[in-house]
Amino acid sequence: MKVDRRSFLGLGLGAVAGIAVSPVGLKLTDDSSIWTQNWPWTPVPADGEVIYESSVCSLCPGSCGISVRKIENRPVKIEGRENYPVNNGGACLHGIAGLQYLYDPARVKTPLKKNGDKFEEISWDDAIALVAGKLADLRKSGSPEKFAAILDKEQGSVSGLFKRLFKTFGSPNFYTMPSFESYLEATAAAIHGEGKTIGFDLENADFVLSFGAGIIEGWGSPVNCFQANASRKERRAKLYQIEPNLSNTAANADKWVPIKPGTQADLALGICAVILKNNLFDSNATMNFKGGFNKFAAMLQKDYTPSKTAEITGVKAADIEKIAGLFAKAKKPVAVFGKGRGDGAQSLKELAAVHTLNCLVGNINKKGGVFVKSKNKYLEFPDESMDSIADAGFAKPKAGRYMNQLVEKINSSSKSVVEALFVYNANPCYSLHDTKSVKQALGKIPFIVSFSSFLDETAKEADIILPSHTFIERIEDVPSGAGLAKTVVGLTKPVASPVFNTKNPGDTVILIAKALKGSIAQSFEWESYNECLEGVTARIWDSLSEDGYAVISKGAPIEPAAVNLSFLSGNPPTVQAQGDFGLTLIPIDNMRLINAGAYVSPFAIKTVSDKVLKGKNIVVEINPLTAKGLKNGGFAIITTPIGTARVVVNFNEGLMPGVIGMVEGLGHTFENKYVSNKGVNVNDLIGPVIESGSGLDAAFGIKAKISKA
Amino acid sequence: MDSALIPEGAKRCSFPKFAIGIVIVGAVLLWGVFAMGLIWWKGLNQTNMNDYYGFALWIWADLAVIAVGGGAFFTGLLRYIFNIDELKNIINFAVIIGFICYSSALLILAIDIGQPLRGWFIFWHANVHSMLTEVAFCLSAYFAVLTIEFIPNILENRQANKVPFFRHLAHNMHGIMAVFAATGAFLSFFHQGSLGGVAGVLFGRPFAYREGLLIWPWTFFLFTWSAAAFGPCFTLLITKITETITGKKLVKDNVVNLLAKISGWMITIYIIAKIIDTIYWATVTAPSLGFNISHFYTNNGFYGYWILITEILVCGLVPGIILIMKSTRENPTLRLIAFILGVIGICLNRWVMVLQVMAVPVMSFDTWALYFPSWQEIATTILPVAYGIILISVTYRYLPVFPQEAELNAVEPAAETE
Amino acid sequence: MKQENNKEHKFGMVIDLDKCTGCGSCMVSCMSENNVPFKEDESNKKDSITWMRVYKLTNGKSFPDTETAYLPRPCMHCAGKGGHGHSPCVSVCPATATEYGHDTGIVSQIYTRCFGCRYCMGACPYHARYFNWWDPKWPEGMENYLSPNVSPRMRGVVEKCSFCYHRYQAARDKAYHEGRNDIEENEFQTACTTACPAGAIVFGDLNNPAHKVHQIVKPDPHPDKWNRHVVGKSRNPKVFRLLERLGTNPKIYYLSEREWIRRKGDNYLDGEWDKIKNHHGSSSHG
Ligand SMILES: Nc1nc2c(c(=O)[nH]1)N[C@H]1C(S)=C(S)[C@@H](COP(=O)(O)OP(=O)(O)OC[C@H]3O[C@@H](n4cnc5c(=O)[nH]c(N)nc54)[C@H](O)[C@@H]3O)O[C@H]1N2
Ligand SMILES: Nc1nc2c(c(=O)[nH]1)N[C@H]1C(S)=C(S)[C@@H](COP(=O)(O)OP(=O)(O)OC[C@H]3O[C@@H](n4cnc5c(=O)[nH]c(N)nc54)[C@H](O)[C@@H]3O)O[C@H]1N2
Ligand code: SF4
Ligand code: SF4
Ligand code: SF4
Ligand code: SF4
Ligand code: SF4
Ligand SMILES: [Mo]
Repeated sequence: MKVDRRSFLGLGLGAVAGIAVSPVGLKLTDDSSIWTQNWPWTPVPADGEVIYESSVCSLCPGSCGISVRKIENRPVKIEGRENYPVNNGGACLHGIAGLQYLYDPARVKTPLKKNGDKFEEISWDDAIALVAGKLADLRKSGSPEKFAAILDKEQGSVSGLFKRLFKTFGSPNFYTMPSFESYLEATAAAIHGEGKTIGFDLENADFVLSFGAGIIEGWGSPVNCFQANASRKERRAKLYQIEPNLSNTAANADKWVPIKPGTQADLALGICAVILKNNLFDSNATMNFKGGFNKFAAMLQKDYTPSKTAEITGVKAADIEKIAGLFAKAKKPVAVFGKGRGDGAQSLKELAAVHTLNCLVGNINKKGGVFVKSKNKYLEFPDESMDSIADAGFAKPKAGRYMNQLVEKINSSSKSVVEALFVYNANPCYSLHDTKSVKQALGKIPFIVSFSSFLDETAKEADIILPSHTFIERIEDVPSGAGLAKTVVGLTKPVASPVFNTKNPGDTVILIAKALKGSIAQSFEWESYNECLEGVTARIWDSLSEDGYAVISKGAPIEPAAVNLSFLSGNPPTVQAQGDFGLTLIPIDNMRLINAGAYVSPFAIKTVSDKVLKGKNIVVEINPLTAKGLKNGGFAIITTPIGTARVVVNFNEGLMPGVIGMVEGLGHTFENKYVSNKGVNVNDLIGPVIESGSGLDAAFGIKAKISKA
Repeated sequence: MDSALIPEGAKRCSFPKFAIGIVIVGAVLLWGVFAMGLIWWKGLNQTNMNDYYGFALWIWADLAVIAVGGGAFFTGLLRYIFNIDELKNIINFAVIIGFICYSSALLILAIDIGQPLRGWFIFWHANVHSMLTEVAFCLSAYFAVLTIEFIPNILENRQANKVPFFRHLAHNMHGIMAVFAATGAFLSFFHQGSLGGVAGVLFGRPFAYREGLLIWPWTFFLFTWSAAAFGPCFTLLITKITETITGKKLVKDNVVNLLAKISGWMITIYIIAKIIDTIYWATVTAPSLGFNISHFYTNNGFYGYWILITEILVCGLVPGIILIMKSTRENPTLRLIAFILGVIGICLNRWVMVLQVMAVPVMSFDTWALYFPSWQEIATTILPVAYGIILISVTYRYLPVFPQEAELNAVEPAAETE
Repeated sequence: MKQENNKEHKFGMVIDLDKCTGCGSCMVSCMSENNVPFKEDESNKKDSITWMRVYKLTNGKSFPDTETAYLPRPCMHCAGKGGHGHSPCVSVCPATATEYGHDTGIVSQIYTRCFGCRYCMGACPYHARYFNWWDPKWPEGMENYLSPNVSPRMRGVVEKCSFCYHRYQAARDKAYHEGRNDIEENEFQTACTTACPAGAIVFGDLNNPAHKVHQIVKPDPHPDKWNRHVVGKSRNPKVFRLLERLGTNPKIYYLSEREWIRRKGDNYLDGEWDKIKNHHGSSSHG
């Protein structure tokens, strides 16, 4: 057939018409749309049988009960556990986002050994042998005390195992990071004597006078505090919040009392003075006061008259008198301390001064008041066996009283102070003030072992990483604390099998102890951490394993607590901010971020406001009156005596003039694109200020200047 | 080289010159096509749109090209239904411009949606309550009508016309074109209107929301009327540009002035309606929802009152008056200024009805949102312009678009060499 | 279940803004429950998918009279003018990819039908709708926590709060299997409600006088006398809805003792608020 133009056109048109009326086009159109609904790169979660398992969250000291929804054994959702005595169904965003930690590809997946600048994978057996070898050498060299540990807390059986290892090894150098629990114990020790801690019965109090405690910012046991705070509305309980910035707690309070940074102790003493002067105190309670009550009262009437206090704190004298009256006349008043989340730097003068208010109005060990309790003693370890090296070493003095003194000592000493360091559940290179000097100190330690699940700032400094299970993969006893009125021990359970080649840190410690042989190994005669846990918690094990928790105490303690005001009666000096710039930079705690222990999850950081984090830039808050020459939303440089940072400025009327607020919890520097390299770490800008007498790092902030970038 | 295709008696530039022009514009077109490919491949993250600006540059471009393409249906209506015979001298061109505008709009829509392969769900799962459904149906149908209106002109190409079938087809199609013109006018009434309805029905957006008649907000009628009013301005502006580039007079002044006069009256009536609508909206509708008009026009430099004044007075009332007054209308410079102002005005109106709607916060604690398009959005928006230039060049070169061209240029064949 | 046994529900919420702490648990619980993806930088809130978003309000006063509060904003599940189900978004969707459930009051979103025109986003004054500008991507291994009850969305479609519809279905199925006609109040609670540590969110059936949400809101059975488009207005003077005057008829109600917060709920001309602030609700302007 001859294909001329006409027949070609005809054929073409015919073909087009044919295809158009045939189902081919429709089919292809339909198929292509179905394909877009099933793109192979969009995940298809597997379905299956649903079960719920209860456990306990140990991401923070809150110790909330959780319920984990699992589908065919795969955890898919964490929620608060109903009727759990701490959190009754609620959970914070970090706990809910817990599964993001479990599956985080940035986890340490297997033991690592540093070779030059890089980490190499190493087997568990080799890693344990290597650690034990180094430690054995140190012990043989005759200075077992040069073995130090940094943990997040003292409580619980895993900490107990670490402590036991150190004691039987012969080192007193066991440290914990500053935590709210440590401040509660220090406060109790200063006023009521050693071996005690404090709980606040916020859910029954009718007037809460908070000296900057971030009751809804993650202070104490966070979810418990949220619930106690929310129930204020029905209970008609009042909250007065005293702090330099309009925090969420201040905004939620019945009254916000702005105060010059770092003068909360003075205000507390000023209020004590009014209460004493106006005879508003509980004379039954004060009858039992020991240690210079009269001297204390005389000091107050001299140094803390309302007008002097007003001068120091910036709170009007009339307001001081009014607050004193409201507080003293309330039926169930509570004064709470612990600025922000309560785990940052605090001064003992402030802690004690605020707590003295409680003692004066006689709310100690009463419902709706403050509970002074014995430290939690539910664990019963068998006696350890100590050889002579252990006895001699353990009896030596600690290199420093707290973490910051240890750092100071290492950095200032030409001789080696610490030869080997264990770090567990702590990130001092991020969370302590002046991170540069902390890193410098760690740099001088020849052998560092990290038990971290993640390659965080401190783990990066380690020579060996023995990665731990996350709280979702391990069994552990989790005692409550952090100012909770009741005492509950919960059981964290392995709701998921380990995702990576990690171990329960309890098992790791037992393995190291066994590898060290001799009396140390004899002190660790458990087959596994499971066996150990069951043994040391024998008294409450049935309850722990059946209910998932055991309530150790609830309600007000019966025994009275002695009160001794000698620490305050001499009016120890109030800590001043370091430096002499014109403004004061203060750290701000934000519930949606984490500043100690774990780092924030991708979900949680997603919730952070663009008034806190904008792209890679941290946003600082400043009152427009103080922001001369700065542009709202513009860049600025903050300079403090120990560092500088480029920041974005946000004008905020909720900040006292003269104050710059910078959020805590940003500025991580490890490999994780979702949470790292965003903003700056406020601890890079603030240095420690040691309170004389207590030895605590009490830097509430630092002097700073700010200029347009 | 291609002289066999060029209409008889028409003078065209040399093929190489033509080809160079096409290649230059073609390069711009390819840039747009590249951007389009990127968007289809990688998705709408290639744009600067966001959850506040779900509708942005493209939707504006869509509304704008459809508005200026309104010259096609309106001229068709005047020519075939109202039998204004002079307009036969510009109807072909009006149809081509309309065809370009509508095909561009469909192309932009295909780029704009997040799931282009499911675009047909708008027909398959049609929601009769949605203005966009009405837009989609009428737009597609009207595009078909425009194609039908365009076909006879294509068949009049010298070579095509030699085929008897095509010749007869073209002839017969001309004969029944009134039916299509009527259909087109009807469809256009609805899709231009429903495009106005797209914004006007947004009762959650007081800046856009208008009361109206039955299911149709006032913007429905304002959009139809404004497209009819300003569309001819665009047709005449493109005619003028084509005349300038070709250096030839293509349409007689009496035709231009007639269409310009009709456009002038349409614009003036539209602007009066628009002013009434604006006053009613500013003093009754918006306040009833808790908004002062100042809420919509302050806070940032871009969306100030200037935009309202420019749209309504400078680019509405002014061209309207120029075109209704004989003296100014017949002054070629003023007439051209009026066309330009008119086209800016209608585009500005569509801008405001899309982008300012997205920019204005509604919740008392929400913030203004400003946006600047990405290069991919700009390239794909310029793409139809390049495509339009090429299509006009090709049709002008090969089709007898302007019936008066031969007559107007026969006496002065030297004109082209200027 | 027989049709006549199907009670008509109108699920809704009341959020106590005096209790809300801005903690963000509701946001994360929602993300985790509903397989919401995340990306490297989520600080541009104009492209960050948060079905539940918590806004920070301020009274605008200067130091020390400044006050702030938080306002959680899920989808309002608007019933539209007169409560007939023509939500701003539902009425505009050309492909019927979002619908008003007349038996639940829930505004659904059908991801596989949505073709991404985003008209619904423009229509929603609450910015409750989010577009998947990117393919959702989970870091390697993290897709292990995804829930099969809610399909992960593909690029190019719109998503929003569903009132955890899958939880409703589960509750309904359970009731059906147990031979019950209807679900109990506590059987269907959304993931944000149960997560809220402050107990600020109360969820339930606004049609059911036994439900707490009904008791707090006390929805007016008659249309508002000032604005016939407004229905279900609260008869509790401390309760308000966002942008009530527009006639969107949201099913999220807010509760606050603080007048400045209630005023933030809507827009008012000068002087209007003072005239109506002591009456319930905010839609009247007469
Ligand atoms: N919120 C909400 N919930 C609903 C509905 C609603 O409208 N809104 N609709 C209800 C209705 S009508 C129905 S039928 C149910 C449907 O309920 P489901 O069947 O649960 O529907 P999907 O969530 O769409 O899909 C379930 C899972 O299957 C995956 N999947 C998709 N294709 C495949 C495949 O080829 N193979 C495998 N193995 N998996 C695949 C999806 O990614 C998803 O994870 O949902 C009900 N639930
Ligand atoms: N994008 C997308 N498209 C899908 C699917 C999908 O998973 N995703 N799934 C497909 C499937 S399996 C189905 S069945 C269809 C579902 O498609 P549709 O049924 O059209 O969609 P839905 O939104 O599930 O439900 C429609 C409406 O019914 C209401 N409704 C819910 N329960 C009842 C009831 O008991 N009685 C009455 N009268 N109304 C009720 C819902 O609130 C909603 O408003 O969609 C199909 N298309
Ligand atoms: S408050 Fe602490 S313990 Fe409770 S869920 Fe949150 S992170 Fe976990
Ligand atoms: S809040 Fe927005 S998305 Fe939700 S129903 Fe209302 S208009 Fe639709
Ligand atoms: S984006 Fe999807 S849901 Fe929204 S209007 Fe378009 S098709 Fe409907
Ligand atoms: S109701 Fe469900 S989907 Fe909606 S915001 Fe709450 S958790 Fe998210
Ligand atoms: S979880 Fe509750 S308290 Fe926290 S932000 Fe959400 S609504 Fe507010
Ligand atoms: Mo279905």
